[in-house]
Amino acid sequence: MVPEAIRATIGWSEKADSLEAGKEAAELALSRLSLFGPQLAIVFGSSWFDQWLLLQGVHSVLGSIPTIGGSTAGEILPSGPVSHSCVVMLIASETLSCSTGMGEAVDRVPREAGQQAAFTAVRGFHGSPRMGFLLFGDGLVTNYADVVRGMQEVLGTSSLIVGGMAGDDFRFAQTYQYVNNRVLSRSVVGVLLGGPIKIGVGCQHGFAPVSKPRRITRAHTHILYELDGQPAASVYEEYFGPEVVQRMRQEGLTRQSIAYPLGIQPETSEAWLLRNVVSFGEDGSLSCSGEIREGSWLQLMIGSRELALEAARKAAQEAIRPLNRIGCALVFDSAVRRMLLGPQQAAMEIAQIREAIGPSIPLIGCYTYGEQAPFGITSTQEHTATQTGSVLVVALGT
Amino acid sequence: MSYAFLLLGILAAIVLALRADWSVQSPGAILVLLGSFVYLALKAESSRKKLDELYRLRAAYDQLDQQAKLVIRTDLELHHTQEELDHRLASLMSLHQLGRQLQVSLHPEEVFSKLESSVVTNFGFSKGLLGMAASFEILEWRSLVGVSQPIADDLCKHLLESGLLKQILTHPAPKIFHTGSVSDPAQRKLLDLLGVPAAVIAGILPHAGPTGCLLFGRTRGITNSKADEELVAILANQLAGAVENSALYEKAWTAQQELEAKVQQRTRELAEANTALVRLNKAKSDFVSAVSHELRTPLAAIKGYASLLGSGQFGALAKAQRERITKIEKHADLLAQFINNLLDIARIESGRVTMEQRTFGIEDFLSTVQDLVHPQLEAKQIRYAVDRDGVKELLGDAQHLQRVFVNLLSNAIKYTPAGGSIRLGLKKEGRSVLAMVSDTGCGIGPMDLPKLFQEFYRANDPINQEVRGTGLGLALVKRIVEAHQGRIWVQSEQGKGSTFFVSLPLEPATTEEPSTT
Repeated sequence: MVPEAIRATIGWSEKADSLEAGKEAAELALSRLSLFGPQLAIVFGSSWFDQWLLLQGVHSVLGSIPTIGGSTAGEILPSGPVSHSCVVMLIASETLSCSTGMGEAVDRVPREAGQQAAFTAVRGFHGSPRMGFLLFGDGLVTNYADVVRGMQEVLGTSSLIVGGMAGDDFRFAQTYQYVNNRVLSRSVVGVLLGGPIKIGVGCQHGFAPVSKPRRITRAHTHILYELDGQPAASVYEEYFGPEVVQRMRQEGLTRQSIAYPLGIQPETSEAWLLRNVVSFGEDGSLSCSGEIREGSWLQLMIGSRELALEAARKAAQEAIRPLNRIGCALVFDSAVRRMLLGPQQAAMEIAQIREAIGPSIPLIGCYTYGEQAPFGITSTQEHTATQTGSVLVVALGT
Repeated sequence: MSYAFLLLGILAAIVLALRADWSVQSPGAILVLLGSFVYLALKAESSRKKLDELYRLRAAYDQLDQQAKLVIRTDLELHHTQEELDHRLASLMSLHQLGRQLQVSLHPEEVFSKLESSVVTNFGFSKGLLGMAASFEILEWRSLVGVSQPIADDLCKHLLESGLLKQILTHPAPKIFHTGSVSDPAQRKLLDLLGVPAAVIAGILPHAGPTGCLLFGRTRGITNSKADEELVAILANQLAGAVENSALYEKAWTAQQELEAKVQQRTRELAEANTALVRLNKAKSDFVSAVSHELRTPLAAIKGYASLLGSGQFGALAKAQRERITKIEKHADLLAQFINNLLDIARIESGRVTMEQRTFGIEDFLSTVQDLVHPQLEAKQIRYAVDRDGVKELLGDAQHLQRVFVNLLSNAIKYTPAGGSIRLGLKKEGRSVLAMVSDTGCGIGPMDLPKLFQEFYRANDPINQEVRGTGLGLALVKRIVEAHQGRIWVQSEQGKGSTFFVSLPLEPATTEEPSTT
C-alpha cells in the first residue's frame, strides 16, 4: 500500500496585537488547507507577544486540533528570517498519528519532567508505530540531558527525540512552551508522531577546531571547572584576553563568545558537540549551554559565514535523504547563528535549505536556544544530545 | 624490540664471560659486549634526534596555538565591529520605518502609541516605554514593550515623585543610567523597577503639541553608550517632529473642517435666500400680472373714451382740447405698451408662454422688421444696412423674435443721432446664428453695461432724459432670447456706438449648454 502523503500549509502574521496575530496566522494556514482537516498544528511565536492571547487567537481558529510549539528568538518563513511574528504550520495526513505531552518544572526535576512529557504523550497515542518525538523545551534551562534521559526511559533509547529549545529574543528572562491551548514555562512539551511516515533529521554546525586540545579534568552537569588541571576560565582568558573576558563577565552571552564556542569531543565520537559559555563563575568555572562530560577533549572552535551556510545545506540534505516524498520541513536554527550570520546571510541560509529540500516544500522554523538531535557519526538514536550553534532540519514525509 | 635485542646481547656477553672466568680466552663474549655497547650508543643517538624533533614539533605546535590566539583576538575585534555595524544598520532601518509610520499619524496623541517591539529590539534594548506628559505632574504611558502594566504604573509614579520627569522635560537630552555608575538613589530605583542594569531616558519636547518621555532598558548592559545616546536622541527628535507635524496637521484639519462647515452654512443660507427670492419674484410677477390685467380694462376705457372725444362725436373740440386728448391717447398707448411688456415678462418668467420651435425664412422676417422700423429710420435720416452673410433661416418663434429685432433696432435708432447709420449683421457660427445690431450712437457707459438688461433700468444719459421709455424693452428682449436657449450681450464704448449680439441656436436644444457670456 502506498503511504498517504503528508500535506502541510503555512500561515503567519506580523500584526502587533497578540490575539489578532494568532488568529490571522491560523486562519491563513487553515484557508490554504483544502483537502482534509489538520492532525497537528505547530506554532512559533515571538516572545514579544502576550503569549496567552497569542495562543488564544490560534486556538479560537483551530479549536481542538493538537497544537505544539514555543516562543522563539526569531521565526523562519520560506522567504527567510522574520521577527515579532507568529508562524503556524498545519500538518494533515489521513494516516498520521500524533499525541501531545508535557512535563513541568524541568529546572527542578528534569528527569521526572522528561518522563512525564513522554508518558502523557504515549498514553494518548493509539495504534500505529511510533516514529519519533518532537520536543520543545525551555531554552533557559542549561542542562537538558536529564530531561532527555527521562524521556528515553519511557520511549526507549532507540526512539528518535528531536526538537528545539524555546527562546525569548535574547532577553534571557522567560521562554514559553505551547501545548494545545496551554502556555507553559520551565517545561518541556512535545508530540509523539507515528504512522506510515518517515522523519528525516539533519544537524550540522559548521564550526572547526582552532585551539590545541585540552582534557576536561573536572566538570559537573553544565559547569566546566578545569581543563588540564587548570581553572577553565584562565584557559579561556588565554585565548580571548582579559578585556574581552571582563566584557563577557559583565554582559553574559555575547557575540564574541558565540563566535568561538567550545567544541567537546567525547571519547566515543569523532564529532564535535558545541557549547556556548553562558556565564563565568567566581571560582574560575565556566557555565555552559549544555552538559559537559569529564574526560572528554575540548577545543575552541571557530566559525565563519561560509562554513555556517555550508552546514545548513548539508543538514537539509541529510534530513531529506531517507525520505521518498517530502511533506514538510521544520528548521530549528540556533539563535547564535542568526547573530553570527547577520541579516543578509541568515536569509541566504534559509534559501540554501529551501534549495536543498525543494522550493515548493512547506517550511517553517524558529531560532532556538538549543537543538535536540541525534549526535555522532553512528547517528543511532541512543546518542541524542542537546546542541548549540547548530542548524537542525527535520523533514516529515513518506 | 631493539632494546630487547640489546638486553639479550648484554646478558649473553655476561654469561659467556662468567663461564670463561673473565679470562682473555673468551673473545666471543667481549665481541658481543662491544657490539651491544655500539648498538646502545647508536640507539641513544637516534633517540636524541627524535627527542629534538619532538621538541621542535611541540614548539611549532605551541607557536601555532599562540598564532591561533592572535587570530582569535583579531577576529574578535572584527566581530565586535561587525556587531556594532549590524546594530547601527538595524537601528537606522528601524528609524526609517518608524519615520514612515509616524508620517501617517493624524493626531499628536497617536504618535505616542507607535513604539513597537521591533523598534525596541532593533535599537538593542529589551524594554521600552513611551508616554505623554501633560505637565510635570501628569504622565500617561501610551506604549509598553516588555513591561507589564503594574511595573509601568510604578515607574510612572516614581518618575513623578522623584522629579526625574521634570528633569527630563526641562533638559530633554538623553540620560544614561548604569548600575555601575549611578549614585543617585532615584536613578538606581528606576533601574530596579525596570529590572535592567542599564537604561536610557529622554524627553520629547515638540514646538507644538503634547510633550512626552521615552524610556528604554537594556538587559545585557550598554556596549556603546555614545551610540545609544545618539540613537535615542535622534528617535526623540523624530518623535517630537512627528508630534509637531501631526499637531499642525490636526490644526489645519480642524481649520478646514470649520471652513467647510461655514461654507456649508453660507451655502444653505444662500439657498434659502435664493428660494425666498424666487418666491418673491414669483409673487412680484403674479402681482404685476394681476395688476396689469386690472390696469388694462380701465386703460382700454380711457383710450376708448379719449378716441370718442377726439373723433368729435360729443361736439367740436377746441384746438387746445384736441391737443390734450391726443396727449391722453399717446400716453395711454405708452401705458398699454408698458403693461403689455410687463405681462409678457411675467408670462415668460412663469413659463406660461411657450416659444415655438419652427424654422422660418430670414428674408420675409427681416423685411417685416424693416417695415416696422422704417418710419423711425426715415424720421432721423439714418442709414440702415443688412448683411445676411448666407444665413437663410432662423429657428424659433418668429413673432417673439420679431419683437427682439424691432426692440434692438428701435433702441439703436433712438440713441443714434440723425444722419447716423445702423447695421444688422447675421453670421452662421457652428450650430447657431449670431445677429449683431451696430449703431453709431452715443454708446453706453461702463457703469451702465452690467445693468442694461435689468427691468426698469435706464442708462443715465442725456437722451434718456429727453426720450421717454419704460426700461422694460431690453429686459423683455433678454427673456425672449433666453427662452429660445440663446444668449444676448453688448459691447459698447461711450461716443463710439454700441453693438448688441444675439446668438440663437439653429437646432432644437436637447440639453442646456453652459453659458459663456
